[in-house]
Amino acid sequence: MTRTDATDSPLTPDITPASPAAGPAEDTPESLRQLDALLSGLTAQLAGWAERTTDWLGRTSRVTSTSVDKFVRPAVETLLQQPGSPIAGAGFIATLGLLAPDRSYMAWWQGDDMERVDALANFSPQPVSRYMRAEWFRVPVSTGKPHVTGPYIDLLCTDEYVCTFTYPVFRLGAIAGIVGMDVTAQKLELMVLPLLRQLGPTAAMVNQAGRAVVAVATSTDAGDAVRAAPGARSHPVGGHFTVLTAVEPAS
Amino acid sequence: MSLSPLGASRSLAALFTPIKSGGLVDEVCSRIELAIETGLLSAGQRLPNEVELASALGVSAVTTREALSQLRGQGLIRTVRGRSGGSFIADDALPSPDKARRRLASLTRLQITDLSLHYQAIASACAALAARRATPDDLETLHELAQGPGGGVTDPLAWRMTHSEFMLEVAAAARSARLARELLRIQAELGTLTLLPFGDEAFRAEASRLHEALASAIERQDPPASEALVRELIHNTSSWLLDELSAGPLSRKEAAHDPH
Repeated sequence: MTRTDATDSPLTPDITPASPAAGPAEDTPESLRQLDALLSGLTAQLAGWAERTTDWLGRTSRVTSTSVDKFVRPAVETLLQQPGSPIAGAGFIATLGLLAPDRSYMAWWQGDDMERVDALANFSPQPVSRYMRAEWFRVPVSTGKPHVTGPYIDLLCTDEYVCTFTYPVFRLGAIAGIVGMDVTAQKLELMVLPLLRQLGPTAAMVNQAGRAVVAVATSTDAGDAVRAAPGARSHPVGGHFTVLTAVEPAS
Repeated sequence: MSLSPLGASRSLAALFTPIKSGGLVDEVCSRIELAIETGLLSAGQRLPNEVELASALGVSAVTTREALSQLRGQGLIRTVRGRSGGSFIADDALPSPDKARRRLASLTRLQITDLSLHYQAIASACAALAARRATPDDLETLHELAQGPGGGVTDPLAWRMTHSEFMLEVAAAARSARLARELLRIQAELGTLTLLPFGDEAFRAEASRLHEALASAIERQDPPASEALVRELIHNTSSWLLDELSAGPLSRKEAAHDPH
């Protein structure tokens, strides 16, 4: 189901030089290059969609729930239904006031059958604080930069252990909301583990908070806090993650 | 009864039970009920029309119509005909202590104790894992929710919401999707019942203390203490409900104020 070779990635991988090597392995650059291409390919899709959404918002005089649905749904359908897609769900969430004063709006779908997520939230007279407060909304909106949240248990949408990738979108220069996608920790394991294995028996891909997302050693679970083992090399991949060639439990 | 391996296996038999028809209608109803219960839809509010609702929920208009009629039957919505008509959330749609008490009266002691044991098993596994896995963000949310719905609030509905959010946060911090889904299922099964103990000031005070203690035990990475505290919290709830059930139709707390 999941793409494990990334020769069709839209991005040219840009490998950051490794830190001083403790014991270079001949195959290191190739599996790392593939890992980076895989994850960059995923985020590039979101970046492209964010850019198209910003464009659309800029040239749409009146943003309504109908026009948002009409623009967002086909894009989500493409993301979710492309062959071997690792994306569990995707959508757009408006900042307060974009559609109407004090109102947010959510256009989010998940699964192969395009189930609409929390559709009733849009009929609520109150702003939907549970979305506004979530890390995957709050961070990109306040920093204006893309963000990856997790892995965390997502009890709002998928009821799964996921990473949520979110990108800010703008309307005439002002923040207008986010576009985002959920990728389950399982899918990331399927994508990343075969390549990670080639880097060493305790290699791991970690998030920006130093939590393992995928780890080779079975003693490390996704979500565990880890740190680089002595002599490990560190490589950024896909813009949001770091591959460490050897990790040990933090503290 | 057949003694073949297949016949003997109850779990397999459950797998082949046909999914009951009308499941989609029930699903739509439970979504709307949940939206009312969590305050997403409020009493007196007009619901979108059948077509809008059907398209938002991704179901057919027929399913929506059937769901609305079921909700009308339960008294959760009322429908007004004519130009300014439509479907509105009923004024008394919110889960009330009366409804909860009727539900309690329909249960046996065994059902309550068994549900409590199941809840304790799942929640204590979550609490122990949370004590190993919680991030600083998880801890911040746990402490915030442990404080209850805020100064001076006595509304049992608000307390019940904060309490169930707190329990879900424990499950989220445990980072097991299966355990979290099971906890959600148990909470749904408990439904309005937990509304009753939160109407009792002494229960609220003790629940608050246990919430705080549990958040702290998770923070100091103490799995045995976390397990014990979450068990106590759930045990308190079920003993309160069992006492209430034994007390009969007149609640011991409200008996003094009851006009009947």
